[in-house]
Amino acid sequence: MNFKDKIIEATKEIFESMIMVDVTPGEALTEPVSKFKCSLSAMVGFAGFKQGNLAIHASDKVAQGLTGDFLGMEVNEINEDVQDAMGELANMLAGSLKPFISSDGGKVELSLPSVVHGEEYTLTVINKADWILIPFSVSHGEFLVGLELKKQ
Amino acid sequence: MGKSILIIDDSSTMRKIVNRSLRQAGLEFDTVFEAGDGVEALEILANEKPDIILSDINMPNMDGIEFLKKKGADPSIKDIPVVMVTTEGGSEDMVEQSRSLGASGCVKKPFTPDQVNDVLGPLL
Repeated sequence: MNFKDKIIEATKEIFESMIMVDVTPGEALTEPVSKFKCSLSAMVGFAGFKQGNLAIHASDKVAQGLTGDFLGMEVNEINEDVQDAMGELANMLAGSLKPFISSDGGKVELSLPSVVHGEEYTLTVINKADWILIPFSVSHGEFLVGLELKKQ
Repeated sequence: MGKSILIIDDSSTMRKIVNRSLRQAGLEFDTVFEAGDGVEALEILANEKPDIILSDINMPNMDGIEFLKKKGADPSIKDIPVVMVTTEGGSEDMVEQSRSLGASGCVKKPFTPDQVNDVLGPLL
């Protein structure tokens, strides 16, 4: 199984078992995305044998909708609940991918999730990294799941 | 007297998800206590004695392992069963350590209500 299949499998499992929401994967992007508008990015870092990060990028509307699905309530602003829910989603996704990332035998540790939100922001892409960015569709719109791993 | 549970997780979202999963699994608790880390949990346990504790492992301030150590050293709460919650790729070392410190089981995220019931049900 490659990273793309593993990300799709883990994302579908998390959304379907924890949020009871169907997600539909799209084609992996061919160019990295670093600039975001009115969005939220939740990230978990990998350290140790492999270094990099797992990130979920969603527009404010999609992040609010997913949080609402997560908590079973209506959410109309980017508040602590949204940041916490998106961080937890990133944490679970990174945790699901960790055994696959460390399958070469080395130890990999996860950071606590961090969340960036703003009207306009740029995320730095790791220099010399393998990356994959996959869009997923839900009823609220589309979000991206990205994995970056530093080349060894 | 109704049953009670203490849910320890730094994520308020996860505390709500766990709470919902318990209900969906048919595990009804009359009282649900919530703590954001081990420190808050010990403060609650100074006054309350829940039937079971569900605790995250990775938390700021006091993680699940340190919490288990403190709880195990307190005769008034050491016998309350604790189930740990960790991510699928969570540290196996920490899971093993939690078992050696007396944790009764482990639930891995993402989980379904049935999986929660399988671990907690026999302890109630």
